[in-house]
Amino acid sequence: MSAATTNHRGRALLAAAAVGAAGMAATYFLDGAARFWANWLLWFVILACLALGTLFLVALQHITGSLWSVPMRRVPERIAALTPWLVPVAAVALFSVPAVFSWTQPGADAVTPLVLKSAWLNYPFFILRLAACLALWMLSYHLLVRRSLRQDESKDPRVTVSLRRFAPAFMIILALTITVFAFDWVSSLEAAWYSDMFGVYLFAGAVTTAIAATTLGVIYQRRRGRLPGVTEDHLYNLGGLMFGFTIFWSYIAFSQYMLQWYANLPEEVFWFQQRTSGKMEGVFVLLMAGHFFVPFLGLMMRSDKKDWRRLRWISIWVLFMEFVDVFWLISPIAGKGLNLGWPEAAFALFFLSAGLLVVSRAMSRGPDMPVGDPFLEDGLKFHLR
Amino acid sequence: MRKPAYGVLALFPSADALLKAIPKVKARGYAQLEAYTPYPVHGLDAALGLPESKLGVLVFLMAAFGAVGVFAFEWWANAVNYPLLTGGKNAFTWPAWIPPTLEGSIFLGTFTAALAMLFIFNGLPFFGHPLLQTKTIDEITRDRFALLIVPSGAAFDEADAAAALRAAGGAAVETLPAPSHETPDAAWWTRTALAIAAACAVAGGATAFAIRVFPTVKPMVNMEVQPRLDAQEPDSFFANGRGMRLPPAGTVPRGGTPILAASLDAAGRELIDPLPVTEFVLERGRRQFDRHCAVCHDRLGTGRASLSSVYTAKPADLQSSTMRKIADGSLYWVISQGYNTMPAYAADVSPDDRWAIVRYIRALQRSQDAPERDLK
Repeated sequence: MSAATTNHRGRALLAAAAVGAAGMAATYFLDGAARFWANWLLWFVILACLALGTLFLVALQHITGSLWSVPMRRVPERIAALTPWLVPVAAVALFSVPAVFSWTQPGADAVTPLVLKSAWLNYPFFILRLAACLALWMLSYHLLVRRSLRQDESKDPRVTVSLRRFAPAFMIILALTITVFAFDWVSSLEAAWYSDMFGVYLFAGAVTTAIAATTLGVIYQRRRGRLPGVTEDHLYNLGGLMFGFTIFWSYIAFSQYMLQWYANLPEEVFWFQQRTSGKMEGVFVLLMAGHFFVPFLGLMMRSDKKDWRRLRWISIWVLFMEFVDVFWLISPIAGKGLNLGWPEAAFALFFLSAGLLVVSRAMSRGPDMPVGDPFLEDGLKFHLR
Repeated sequence: MRKPAYGVLALFPSADALLKAIPKVKARGYAQLEAYTPYPVHGLDAALGLPESKLGVLVFLMAAFGAVGVFAFEWWANAVNYPLLTGGKNAFTWPAWIPPTLEGSIFLGTFTAALAMLFIFNGLPFFGHPLLQTKTIDEITRDRFALLIVPSGAAFDEADAAAALRAAGGAAVETLPAPSHETPDAAWWTRTALAIAAACAVAGGATAFAIRVFPTVKPMVNMEVQPRLDAQEPDSFFANGRGMRLPPAGTVPRGGTPILAASLDAAGRELIDPLPVTEFVLERGRRQFDRHCAVCHDRLGTGRASLSSVYTAKPADLQSSTMRKIADGSLYWVISQGYNTMPAYAADVSPDDRWAIVRYIRALQRSQDAPERDLK
């Protein structure tokens, strides 16, 4: 592919982002700040999930020492280039805290659960936690991805050793930060609600999303001949991971739902009541059918996971379901008018095109495979049976 | 006529050698091959030209059947046949049925996987497999990789097959004889059926024995042994050594009626049955007697109820001549205060009901010893 087409595509993405940005500004002034902030939070959460999920996939490969994923590792590493951009997105998102978070609203000091949680939910500590999370994510991105990129030139096998040494530490960092992130930026929207496993819920969705995005990236790169030697057998493993994490997400989602539905305690169950009745009922049913049954049945056969066309459609579907999932989480509270309309389309246009721009810029730099990784050759030799 | 051989077998030192040998043997015209390896070898299925196993389809169908079956059963049992309302929810409590649905699909899926793998796809039971009688079976299960040429077509030349295997690098070539009996014969089925019947008989007998023995063994006595004092029980806490206490002099329990008699005999002399003579009173007495008294005194008052064998002290025979002669007031006094091991019923039976019971006891006594004029 020539540089001209790359530039052409880059300009198109830039134009789309500009149109989206204009729509976002119009949302703020025409449709009110609440809808703007709800959409901004929605995309902040999705982008963070995508960045953290791809970092998780990279670290997972280093921990397990899997060979099949080495040739395609550059794809999640490049999608993780979204990580530094989380800083400006988060900085803007901070302005949504006084606007839509329930613990900042007037009268919050009269609600018992909010008073009990005020040691955790106050501005200084909240900002401190966000800063700590962002710093740890940047550090992890640097240690997991940047060093791997530099290995392309140095060909130093010791880098692989130290990457494998850092990966378990990243898993602990991820477990702690994604839990804090989920509590702070999603469940504290309705701060009276309790759910200990909410961090795991967001994590399960994040990894499923990251696998789907990685699969799409691999299929894209492969069709352009950038990943020679990556076969259907490699894709099969991505499909298998997506299948597994689909079931994991469903298990976690159902466990969280059933416990609160069964106990039926007013201080817990109101959260689900808002999300399963009224106009949200349809979204709830779509989530059950679309986030579980479609990928579950669509990825079950071995031939499904080896067919790149089918994988492509299911990956796109899974990405759409992550949007539906986060919409379902945020919409009933923060939205106060979050709906499906032109403002949502403008936000989607902006964040998708800007995100694609970031990822495709990153992908166009340097080799498309980790050529310095000593396991690359073994990874290319991988076959199923 | 000599039975045709089962096949010609050769050993290879490694999985790679085996994989390289397969196309060479195939090139000599032997299409039907079978491989035996100590562990699953990547690429073997493709090299042998085996189609993808159908086991997955079978497992999926059975797992789906398990899921749908369990969910439908839960729905029928909890929402249709006996609608169950729990915790203010409606009868269609589908979230509660998801865990058993999951278990049902896993149960049928795994059992189908294991049993179908053994009995359908691997063709068990297969006795006397020729491979088990080879000299090299130890090595095949340890660190050698075996390839078998299966005879296909009438013109099978063992010597040529052996040469093909040797040319492909195989060692320890040997011809496997036909299995002595490939499928179980009638005797085997008879033996198996008898063994299953014997196992069922033993299990059934043991269950019947257990059902007879276990009810007399008390698995737990929590309900029976309670930290409280029953009527007439001794207790060291009080100075007179009795668990029962007299109420303070001159007090009347809230809502209670005092029994204005000092003793059994005094009650017989002084207390008078206040109830009218009506069928309603007798019917009331019958119901109260059957509820409170019949469990020990029997429904006819004979004192030989089914539970009476458990007690060392025999309940009184209300049909005895003593009981026929005792005054109404005394019977009332015994029901209220208890007597010997019989506990007091004042707390459980209201005064009017106690009198109704007395009236019914009199009717019972007359029914068992009716004068001739009653029968006319």
